[in-house]
Amino acid sequence: MLVWQLLLGAAFVAAWQAGVSAKLMDKFFFSRPSDIALRVWQMFAAGTVWGHLGTTLLEAALSFVIGVSTGVLFGFVLARNKFLAALLDPYIRVTNALPRVVLAPIFLLWFGLGIWSKVALGVTVVFFIVFFNTFQGVREVDPVIVNNARMLGANERQLIRHVLIPSALTWIFSSLHISIGFAIIAVVVGEYLGASKGIGYMISQAEGVFDTTGVFAGMTILAAVVLCVGAGVDRLERYLLRWKAHNTNTGSAEVS
Amino acid sequence: MSPPAIRFKDITKSFPGYTAVEAINLDVSSGRFLSVVGPSGCGKSTLLNMAAGLMTPSGGSVEIFGEPLNGINRKAGYMFQQDALLPWKTVLDNILLGLELRGADPKAAEQTARDWIHRVGLDGFADRYPHQLSGGMRKRVAMAQTWITDPAIVFMDEPFGALDVHTRLRMEGEILGLWAETKKTVMFVTHDLEEAIALSDEVVVLSAGPASHIVGVYQVDLERPRNLIDIKTDPRFTEIYGSIWRDLREEVLKSYERNEKV
Ligand SMILES: Nc1ncnc2c1ncn2[C@@H]1O[C@H](COP(=O)(O)OP(=O)(O)O)[C@@H](O)[C@H]1O
Ligand SMILES: [Mg+2]
Repeated sequence: MLVWQLLLGAAFVAAWQAGVSAKLMDKFFFSRPSDIALRVWQMFAAGTVWGHLGTTLLEAALSFVIGVSTGVLFGFVLARNKFLAALLDPYIRVTNALPRVVLAPIFLLWFGLGIWSKVALGVTVVFFIVFFNTFQGVREVDPVIVNNARMLGANERQLIRHVLIPSALTWIFSSLHISIGFAIIAVVVGEYLGASKGIGYMISQAEGVFDTTGVFAGMTILAAVVLCVGAGVDRLERYLLRWKAHNTNTGSAEVS
Repeated sequence: MSPPAIRFKDITKSFPGYTAVEAINLDVSSGRFLSVVGPSGCGKSTLLNMAAGLMTPSGGSVEIFGEPLNGINRKAGYMFQQDALLPWKTVLDNILLGLELRGADPKAAEQTARDWIHRVGLDGFADRYPHQLSGGMRKRVAMAQTWITDPAIVFMDEPFGALDVHTRLRMEGEILGLWAETKKTVMFVTHDLEEAIALSDEVVVLSAGPASHIVGVYQVDLERPRNLIDIKTDPRFTEIYGSIWRDLREEVLKSYERNEKV
């Protein structure tokens, strides 16, 4: 399968290259894979990209860490406290319904052009994904397993540690994949709208001078970073969820 | 006389719009093996859950060795009808969980758990996860998990319902062996009358729901230790089976009729 997947990718890039060379596609709008590869290479060779990449990754990492920890915390507290959950439910819905992009200018005003306005934007995205999944995960714990642990002598704290956290981990992990991607996208959007550093800023600069190759180069680097980070999460997930049957149907694997 | 291990005093349990059991009075003497049989849905699990403290009765009270039960029954272990092992823990960690939760010394707990792994015939499987085991093996783990903390009372809710006949017979034998060694009080739920008689000192028959009540309590005066295969052809077994079945049949028919209508 991997071979076929690689072949498809190669065919796509080759068609693109050929299309532009044969003047079927306008080089101004579409650039050329070979030019993009060359540009990426130059950017790394000249070292100009490192600062931008570092800034973007720092922002994404900060929003990820802050978003995940607050999301998990709130998810746990609300799942264990029915009153609080019911009280806050409408507000959570309303807040989550806001399109994040409209928040970006406000965060720029509040937190300035530096990294924190981007981190804030990333946190609003990551928080809700992780929050909803944790909430769900804790709520969906098999009550028989909870009862079993209680009969074996578990107090509330031990119940959280031995049952609720491991059980919610499946859900939290499925949200981590998505939220890492979204964290990076959110901070890049933030940079794009106003910053002095970062991949998003780089892309907007290139766009400002109609440098299509630069835009594509930025996108390529971004995609590669998201893929690498995703692979890291995959490995961590495989280790922490090693108790699960390796089944495509992750949701109900342990039920049967 | 010492108080009974479990006493149900005028127990009623209602769910919104449905009364499961009503006016249940029952004593389980210390050290006895008592079975509860009845058509499915009649409230057998509900009774166990109340005696375990996982559910509060709507009326009446439960006493454990003479003390009114409040919250979880700390003197009891519970083998559930469904799979209740912690899927993220290995066989070893599942079995020693009860000791770990009590703050036992980790080294000693592990040694005890390893002894239990041997006892239930799972040598070599200590590091497996539940999903890597067969149904019968998971029941063995559950058995060790429940018995390792040495509870005075053990509740078992149709523990072997899902097993094949052969595995089931072996597990029943092992349960009787364990029980004979320790003389714990056992309250065993099954819908299989033969199983109930073969294992127990006493069989309680529940009526079909709603508002299920006790139809009869029967003493099983068969000798111990018992051979679970031969016992089923024992004339006394057949006699007891006949007299209980006459009462139980009525209830099963009633519950069928009701299900037909639904
Ligand atoms: N939590 C619950 N809420 C509502 N009804 C319940 C609940 N638990 C049990 N029941 C009902 O009570 C009756 C007895 O259930 P149960 O004790 O599980 O029966 P059994 O174990 O004898 O098969 C059933 O009709 C069931 O639908
Ligand atoms: Mg039941």
